[in-house]
Amino acid sequence: MFKFLKEKIKKAVSAIKNSITRAKEGEAEEKAKEEVEKRVQEGEIKEKEKPTLIQKIKRKLTTFSLNEAEFDKVFWELERALLENNVAILTIEKIREDLKEKLVGKNVKKGELEKTIKETLRKTLEEILLDPFDLVAKVKKGKKPFVIVFFGINGSGKTTTIAKVANLLKKNKLSCVFSASDTFRAASIEQLEHHASTLDIEMIKQKYGSDPAAVAFDAIEHAKARKLDVVLIDTAGRMHSNINLMEEMKKICRVAKPDLKIFVGESLIGNDAVVQAEEFDEKIGVDAIILTKADVDEKGGAAVSMSYVTKKPILFLGTGQEYKDLDVFDKEKVIRSLGL
Amino acid sequence: MLGALGEKLKAALKKVASAVFVDTKLLDELVKDLQRALLESDVDVELVFQLSERIKEKARGEPKAGITKREQLIKIVHDELIELLGKEKKELEIKKGPYKIMFIGLYGSGKTTSISKLALYYSKRGHKVCMIGLDTHRPAAHDQLQQLGEKIKVQTFIDKKEKDPLYIWKKFEEQTKKFDIVIIDTAGRHDLDKNLEKEIKQLNKKIRPQEVILTLSADIGQAARSVVEGFHNNCGITGIFLTRLDGTAKAGGALAAASITKAPVLFIGTGEKPQDIETFDGTTFISRLLGMGDLNALLEKTKIALGEEEKEKLEKSLEEGKFTLLDLHDQISAMSKMGPLSKIAELIPGFSKVKLPKDLMQIQEGKLKRWHHSMKSMTKEELENPEIITSPHIARISKGSNVPSGEIKEMLKQYKMVKKFFGVTKGKGMSQKDLQKLAKKFKISL
Repeated sequence: MFKFLKEKIKKAVSAIKNSITRAKEGEAEEKAKEEVEKRVQEGEIKEKEKPTLIQKIKRKLTTFSLNEAEFDKVFWELERALLENNVAILTIEKIREDLKEKLVGKNVKKGELEKTIKETLRKTLEEILLDPFDLVAKVKKGKKPFVIVFFGINGSGKTTTIAKVANLLKKNKLSCVFSASDTFRAASIEQLEHHASTLDIEMIKQKYGSDPAAVAFDAIEHAKARKLDVVLIDTAGRMHSNINLMEEMKKICRVAKPDLKIFVGESLIGNDAVVQAEEFDEKIGVDAIILTKADVDEKGGAAVSMSYVTKKPILFLGTGQEYKDLDVFDKEKVIRSLGL
Repeated sequence: MLGALGEKLKAALKKVASAVFVDTKLLDELVKDLQRALLESDVDVELVFQLSERIKEKARGEPKAGITKREQLIKIVHDELIELLGKEKKELEIKKGPYKIMFIGLYGSGKTTSISKLALYYSKRGHKVCMIGLDTHRPAAHDQLQQLGEKIKVQTFIDKKEKDPLYIWKKFEEQTKKFDIVIIDTAGRHDLDKNLEKEIKQLNKKIRPQEVILTLSADIGQAARSVVEGFHNNCGITGIFLTRLDGTAKAGGALAAASITKAPVLFIGTGEKPQDIETFDGTTFISRLLGMGDLNALLEKTKIALGEEEKEKLEKSLEEGKFTLLDLHDQISAMSKMGPLSKIAELIPGFSKVKLPKDLMQIQEGKLKRWHHSMKSMTKEELENPEIITSPHIARISKGSNVPSGEIKEMLKQYKMVKKFFGVTKGKGMSQKDLQKLAKKFKISL
């Protein structure tokens, strides 16, 4: 994740440093001279020690403060690094505001600039990215059957993700049933059925074109009767801008009353990540996010953007084609990998 | 939803058009606005900077005689955007025997769906098309292709048991030779996966398709460039099929990435159903983004949807000044063949500027369906001469079709309006003002 961002931040920081520190050196030198002059007159130090001492004090005193225009200029480097890492503009604005507050109009010591920028960035990211909860523990503590619904736009990897999650739950001795509620896309039922038979999990299905909410209802009834632990509902991919399909999703939620609503998003998405996550959250409500295809792209900006708009944690990253390729999202690791 | 990028670009250009002086300050502002608009629509950061530099460079030159500095600047931006986001339209030249089109792309980018769209597109135009499924990795990929094939009535070759795609190809190769066009489905992959990379290279070598089409999702971010370049280096892409254009994505990243490979965007996918496909023309697309509309695309659609016979009939009855509910009915069914209203509205010049309420189009579609039902409960006399319909008629129609009488009244009102509208424009063609008037009326009538 966040390929090259570490280096880019370093570069941006040094660019910022080089472009501004010159500004206040003169002032600091004046002050240092004054101070040394005073001490010479008071007889504290000798004449020949003067130049070294001036340099020493100058270094200590060199601070700078930025006005807004200067800040915009120096932030640009950092903004570019973030943009290249697929962080949406809206999220960059938040980082900009946080940094601005720390830097504009304040006296910052030269030696501490890098630290200040990194610390602010770290704090901002810590605020944006949330710690994932333990899914298995939550399911074990929750009511029975524990109903999880998965949704997202077309082709984001819902069905594969459900199979991966079911594999994880099963390994933790939780019994599952699939609800094949994607009754629209061709062969979606067969696809889930394949996973069901490989993983040896029961599946409730109906014909194509039938009501997805009814399938979910049947699956939950089935789980109740058989005393199964978890119901995993697969839904058809839908565009967040399609009102009718979003209404259908609301209906599924009304009928199934899910304990957990998981948004399955793709890590390749750019600025639209913000819109997609926001719309799904607003209309259906997102409890947690699973980010797929993290092995294709290592930029990681979508993770930051989606967390920022939904304020919901990312539980897992999908990192491959196998069932085991589901990594728990480690916030600390991500931040550490940035060298922050 | 390509409009959003257009809005931003339009706003930037409007600034130029309305500025008092065209100077460096204005140029800097314009470049900044453009950068922001393009970055927000996911265009590769480096490409954006190259573009800004070029615009600045070119704007320094003196304009040719007869052209103002302002016009020159707008033209520079227009040309650069076309260079960045799209080239001129290219149509596939289907050659004899059989013409092989192979689809490649990332997982979930919409390969199989797009293949069925393309198959329907060409079979509607009289070609003999078949599809062959070589995706042996994703579960049920073959079932998906088969079900889509049945839906659009196109022959599909699959082998559910075989794991070697090359073997499947060899097995069916002879049979595909009787078709004009063979469309080949492959497994989703990414450029970092070495095994799949080897597989696709081998397939490409053995099958020797005339076209290799990459499906690319419109919402892809900064990864677009590396993805497109990766696939291009492996297979040599000859064209791009842009998918998921019915969402809110601005598609800048995908378009710009496509542009680097010199492979043109051939088609765009604009919905979930097999008929949701459009050809793509970079030049008109940019004009459309900048609010100039695209009559050509609309005309092409109407040509297919309205059979020649129906069209003549409609023209004739319009000329005679007769426009019956039956005609409205024909129009509505022709329109539903064209695809959702929202897409058609986008194509009409002027409509993209008229701010239609966000949900209007989708509501309108549901309504059209119910109108259709109510017409089925009318007598032929009522359809031909709607003026005779009074409230007892409406009550009966409403009962028969289970459509609320209010909506039937509304339909009659709409009918009168359309009739009047055609009267207005008869012989003159539609002017922008007329269209805006129509749009306004649409809003009022809801």
